[in-house]
Amino acid sequence: MSIEINEEYFEKLALTVIDGEDEECVKLVNEGLDAGVDPLDAVEKGLARGIDKVGEDFGAGIIFLPELAMAADVMKQGTTILDERIKASGEKRASHGKVVIGTIKGDIHDIGKSVVAAVMQANGYDVVDIGIDIDVDAFIDALKEHDADVLGMSTLLTLPLMEMEKVIIRLKEIGMRDDIKVIVGGCPVTQEFADEIGADAVGFDAQDAVFKLDGLMGVNRSRATAQA
Amino acid sequence: MKGFDGKLVGSVHPITRDECKMVHDAAIRVLEQGGVRCDDERAAKMFEDAGCTLENNRELVKIPEKAVMDALAKCPGSFTLHGRNDPTKDCSIGTGEVHFCTVTGRYIDDIRTGERRKVTRQDAIDGTLMADALENVHGLYKPVMWLFDEEMICNSQILTTEWMKHTNKPGTWVYNTGAEHEVSDLIKMWQIAVGGEEEMRQKPHMLGHVVVNPPRVIDVHYTDWLIGFCDSGTPLSIESALMGGATGPATRAGMLVQCMVEIYSLVVQSQSYKPGHPLAFCSFNPAMDMRTGLWATGTPEYGINGGGIAAMAKYHNIPVVGFGMSDSCEFDQQTAHEKALKNYNYALAGLSWIIDLGGTAGFNLVSWPEMVLENEMVAYIGEYLKGIQIDEERLSVDTILKVGPLPGSYMKEKHTRKWFREEFFMPELNNKEFFESWQRGHVELQEKAKQKALSILDNHQSPVAAEIQQELDSYLDFCMQRDLG
Repeated sequence: MSIEINEEYFEKLALTVIDGEDEECVKLVNEGLDAGVDPLDAVEKGLARGIDKVGEDFGAGIIFLPELAMAADVMKQGTTILDERIKASGEKRASHGKVVIGTIKGDIHDIGKSVVAAVMQANGYDVVDIGIDIDVDAFIDALKEHDADVLGMSTLLTLPLMEMEKVIIRLKEIGMRDDIKVIVGGCPVTQEFADEIGADAVGFDAQDAVFKLDGLMGVNRSRATAQA
Repeated sequence: MKGFDGKLVGSVHPITRDECKMVHDAAIRVLEQGGVRCDDERAAKMFEDAGCTLENNRELVKIPEKAVMDALAKCPGSFTLHGRNDPTKDCSIGTGEVHFCTVTGRYIDDIRTGERRKVTRQDAIDGTLMADALENVHGLYKPVMWLFDEEMICNSQILTTEWMKHTNKPGTWVYNTGAEHEVSDLIKMWQIAVGGEEEMRQKPHMLGHVVVNPPRVIDVHYTDWLIGFCDSGTPLSIESALMGGATGPATRAGMLVQCMVEIYSLVVQSQSYKPGHPLAFCSFNPAMDMRTGLWATGTPEYGINGGGIAAMAKYHNIPVVGFGMSDSCEFDQQTAHEKALKNYNYALAGLSWIIDLGGTAGFNLVSWPEMVLENEMVAYIGEYLKGIQIDEERLSVDTILKVGPLPGSYMKEKHTRKWFREEFFMPELNNKEFFESWQRGHVELQEKAKQKALSILDNHQSPVAAEIQQELDSYLDFCMQRDLG
């Protein structure tokens, strides 16, 4: 029996994000599509409402990183299905921008970068986390594949810092630098270093990364600061 | 240096011996069923030689209990971290003494300007001299994290040169920059500092950290270090470095199980490579702060997990060491209570080498006045560890019968004069004044610490022989020429 697309449906969809229920989210999204839901509505009235609430609750100290990360993951699973339909229809859903983020080659530290990715996602960015130990070619390929607006690079170690500059140099060489905002972060990354290698910003923590990203992307939030 | 000892060292653990067995069995289940990942053929061979099973193209190592127990049986129950050319600085590890060691940082509260700034080469010298001068600092971790005023490519070599040139106290090393020649250069410098390769093998003076990349990956860089440490005779400190809720489970028991999985895997790896090589279990197991994603080192769960690792070390008769630290971003009451509670807990649990003094904020900030204050804090801990000594003379029955009931005083008794200095603690800096006289005028504790630190920096001289200093400088010149041209 087909489900009814109404306010209750969108609320349920939002709740799957808030509660971190990935299987229920995928099920509801597919049932909604079968019942003829507009995929843009499913994102904006359902999933996005959920992630907005998660962001607010995180900012208020009501929920914590594991809940935020799970919500971001559920949101991603839902939007992956819906984006295919949206793309096929020629429409485009609202987003503050698409970020490709990873830990630079020579470093396998994952957590800091993953926290930044989750907080960015909870603040309305589409984030593609391409993992750890990422070399120049893999960053460039991911930026092209995902038609990204922003490159995020992270490291906890000192020597891999030099790899960050190589990625920026390559972006310049292939004529992509002007189209991509570059934000860097991690324990040894300083403002001076970011300036030296020609990055657009340095995020000193997840909140700061979103704040700086908002500045780069021209995002004006109704709330005073990003939700982190 | 002789550490703090006393009847309370190793007396309190957060789990019982029966519970140690449960943790051990759980860890073995994980090692036998899930194993550890290993991306390095050298490490794979070590595990294979120890009787482990290699699967998935030799990348997954299943470790049977027999391999763990065989490896543990080869580990010595104690070892010595020697003073460099100075036996009075020897630290005995695993024998019931508690030693305190400095910690490191990226920033410093400048003692002269009050400015918070990035650390430099001069700070590495100052931090080493401070640690060398303070009577309750038994050893050093790298005095600062990096030298921001020097080239990154030879940073560890410059740092190590200044460190070895300014103290003879033993030390602790953890993988720093990953530079190409870091392992061989640093070991060479440590050998120069004691007069040669064989001298260091006979009297190792560094504790070398080897860490699993959690969850459950044998890290290729740390295998480089493991080989370097073992070949040079440097005792190992082996740790999991998991972060509860992120790279480890979100229960204290689960964290302890995964810690033991990762520690056991390094015991097997190291004892396969060099049977009988001395090692200690190490505690560095924060939970993730659930708001920021940072490691939380000042929390009760961090300290109590260290006690759990100490219990497991005692269960297997292996020495145990650990990192202390506070989460506070300044030197304040939070730093003081987090450190005092954790370090006392660690000492009660029997950790032999506690890396904590002079820094806070998770390897971010150091301060020399703070090192002075913590030098005094650990003196308090040392006193607590003594407990109450019971013997006929200390029971004091004859003196009690002689003096009381009132009127009468113990102040002029020979028994009092004989015992008060040994039984009562006399702090150097902490206040014990009358309230009124303190109100009339006093020097704040922080100021007292600053004045002592400044006095050390102005007056303390390096105890390292001039010819060793010159040889270290020459080797550094070679490294710089090779790497920087």
